[in-house]
Amino acid sequence: MICLFKAPYLMKLNQLLLFLFLGLLSACQQQDNNDGNMNHEAQVDKKIYRHSEDGKPTSLDPIKASTIYSNLMAVNIFDTLYAYKYLKRPYELKPNLATQMPTISDDGLTYTIEIKPNVYFTPHASFAGGLGREVKAKDFVYSIKRSFDPANGGTGAWLWQGKILGIDQWKADGANYDQVIEGLKALDDYTIQIKLTQPYPQLIYTLAMGFSAITPREVVESLGQEFGSKPIGSGPFILTSFNSETAYLIKNQDFRAEPLDIYFEGYDPAKHKSYGLESLQGKNAPFIDELEVHFINESSSRWHSFTKGNEIQYTTVPKDKQNAVILQHDPILVHPQISKNYHYTYGTEAGFVYHGFNMDDPTFGMRGDEEHDKNSHALRCAIRKAHNWSQKNRAFYFGLGQVFPGIIPPSVPEFDPNLSTESIELDIEGAKTLLAEHGWNNDTLPEFEYHVTGSVLQKQFYEQMRGFLNKIGYPSNLIKYKPYPSFGQFNKAIKNRQSPFFFLGWTLDYPDAENTLQLFYGPNQTPGSNNFNYSNPAFDQLFEQSSTMLPSPQRTALYRQMNQMVIDDCVVISGLARNKINLWHKNVITFPDREIVGGFHLRYVDIKQ
Amino acid sequence: MNHQATYKAQPSHDLWFRAGQQLISDKLGILGATIVLLFLFITIGVWLGLWGQNWSETSDFFNQSPSLRHWFGTNAIGQDIASRGIYATKVAFEVGLLVAVCASLLGTLVGAVAGFKNNTWLDSSLLWLMGVIDSIPFYLFVAAIAYAMKGFIFSMHMAMILVFWTETARVIRGEVIKLNQLEFIESAVAMGQSQIKILLKHIIPNVSHLLIIQSTLIFVAAIKSEVILSFLGLGVKDGISWGLMIAESTNDIQAGYFLNFFVASGLLFILVIGFNLFSDALQDALDPKLQK
Repeated sequence: MICLFKAPYLMKLNQLLLFLFLGLLSACQQQDNNDGNMNHEAQVDKKIYRHSEDGKPTSLDPIKASTIYSNLMAVNIFDTLYAYKYLKRPYELKPNLATQMPTISDDGLTYTIEIKPNVYFTPHASFAGGLGREVKAKDFVYSIKRSFDPANGGTGAWLWQGKILGIDQWKADGANYDQVIEGLKALDDYTIQIKLTQPYPQLIYTLAMGFSAITPREVVESLGQEFGSKPIGSGPFILTSFNSETAYLIKNQDFRAEPLDIYFEGYDPAKHKSYGLESLQGKNAPFIDELEVHFINESSSRWHSFTKGNEIQYTTVPKDKQNAVILQHDPILVHPQISKNYHYTYGTEAGFVYHGFNMDDPTFGMRGDEEHDKNSHALRCAIRKAHNWSQKNRAFYFGLGQVFPGIIPPSVPEFDPNLSTESIELDIEGAKTLLAEHGWNNDTLPEFEYHVTGSVLQKQFYEQMRGFLNKIGYPSNLIKYKPYPSFGQFNKAIKNRQSPFFFLGWTLDYPDAENTLQLFYGPNQTPGSNNFNYSNPAFDQLFEQSSTMLPSPQRTALYRQMNQMVIDDCVVISGLARNKINLWHKNVITFPDREIVGGFHLRYVDIKQ
Repeated sequence: MNHQATYKAQPSHDLWFRAGQQLISDKLGILGATIVLLFLFITIGVWLGLWGQNWSETSDFFNQSPSLRHWFGTNAIGQDIASRGIYATKVAFEVGLLVAVCASLLGTLVGAVAGFKNNTWLDSSLLWLMGVIDSIPFYLFVAAIAYAMKGFIFSMHMAMILVFWTETARVIRGEVIKLNQLEFIESAVAMGQSQIKILLKHIIPNVSHLLIIQSTLIFVAAIKSEVILSFLGLGVKDGISWGLMIAESTNDIQAGYFLNFFVASGLLFILVIGFNLFSDALQDALDPKLQK
């Protein structure tokens, strides 16, 4: 065996090599440290806000912004003509890219909208010279047309279908983008004109939705399908990367300078004082340098990431953590440790959850046979009477949900607080009587199929429903659990009218009860939005009458009449509006709201340094 | 020659008598048998409707601690955890019994035929079939069966039977090959008895001890698989099982409630331990080479 250290010259050589090696290691280490320090300094200088959502967007293309997650991304990357005021509740629109609210003709059929000049798309190679070009009125026209192009697979066309003059014909004629549509024109570079087939008071709300966000034609045509993952817009943030877990965005440095007026936005010291929003007054949004949106579906992971301190800075409170967060229910108070570490707000969602019957089902629905329809009506009403909303609220929503009768939820101005609560009251004896009166017994009761997406939580919903039905004498062997592997397949079954009874939620697209009433409008039957396949000519006539009316006591009266029809026909077991608690770190200045505002608030987030 | 002597010198009734004697003297085996009998008693009670019938009842008392009314408390929708655990014992026994009986019978039949027809194309084909089935990952196979037999309530059972019979078949085949070389089989052949008669009258009775051991092993494997499959959403769907209770508890645990998990996994643990002790003792007692 040779020992290297025996010969003196070899020993020196080895020592030299050793020193060189250690020196090299040390240099490498130094290099690493330097990089680390540089990164650290860069991180300290930058304001980074890490937002979280409990689901992920399927596409970032605005014409596919049908989920709250896609919409949230769309309104931050693109511009919409209108937006919701940051703090004002009930929700109120304000101009965004538009210079002011639209000018509407006396007959309510023509909308003229001016847009702001000198607003630019963010740079992209498809633009001349690679620099972002100015946003023009024609870009809005192009963007709406895209929803009607069958090649694009857009999901928002229903908002304007049959309402904008000539747009359906444009689609039928082959969707040629150079063909002018009578009802959708750019009068000049900064003026948009929309002509309607009939008054459509909800139009302005649709212009604040991600579906109507403005996209540049040359980029869309250059990227094709890739536009859904590499979007270019003129919004407050620029997307730098996007995957199924996180979207990374940076501040759009060229975003138009518009000093924030918190008082115009609805600032109320009684509600907002403790959040530090006053410090934002007069500053130009966006205030942060980088925005990260983390899509974390698993509630436990989201909670741990939030409470860890240096990861996500905002979360809603998952169901399984409500026990640890909430100290008192009415009014909601959180544990001192939570309020010490985090800011919080809570509020009723702009939407609700409900159980629905398929009125086209031969057993539970209507089939034109008077005797059958009378009996099936009694059966549906008995099932509704058996439903214990109070128990459901406490078991699944920690008792925080707001149970209300009918389909006009508390979040819209047309909500009737004085409506009879009979339809949401538990009445076991009443249900039994109703069944007996109509000849329903163990021998005649039909199989009750509960269709649902297969998951532990949904199974518990089913088991609770089975418990409710058992109490009115519905035998367990007639109550069947029908799980689907995914929401898509469950939804497909509903759209194919295969599901006699289902449990779903609805989130409002805009603060107008028309948005829930249209779920019961006959012509909207599946595959449209009317999953109940409810068809009541009297309802449809009122809906058509009210759909052209501007907000007024008369319209509200019609809405409430329709609401009562749905209640009387026992089409739906409704409803419960969930109360959601938002938590965010104390170094973040924000007032989060995921509801109708839909992500506009992210441009006003700031970080204390 | 030794084998021949063993079989000749030790008639079947003598084997069973000695096995019984040894089993009684095995304390752990007796403990295992007691546990299994206790669970069987619980199951029979559920079958007869004596207890566990209110497992699906919901109430206003969510996530309650153990009390006289609710021995193991309640779950997130106010259901009695004890009743659910007890009722799920019946489900476990049903799955275990059905799968053990069917898989053992199928395995015995195929194994005996393959062993009896050793070194023929039939034997090779059956071996190839067993090899193919064994090469498919179990849960993938069950998922495929469950999907293919959508809506059929016994799809999980079918999948387990289709997987579990091969082990029994291999064991029985090996034993039959050994038996085939013994004199009493050769005598039966020489006397002109039909192959089916030899198989049913002389061979299968001589592998019955192995069949019992294999059945107990399959029984335990089926119960464990049912729990895992139900936990994964591939097993019991409409009803209750320990697997579903453990699946439910994934939400409970995050909220700080552990009873659902402890009861389901505890019952499973006790039954599996009991069956394993019993099965080991049975194996020791019925193996002629191990008999004292």
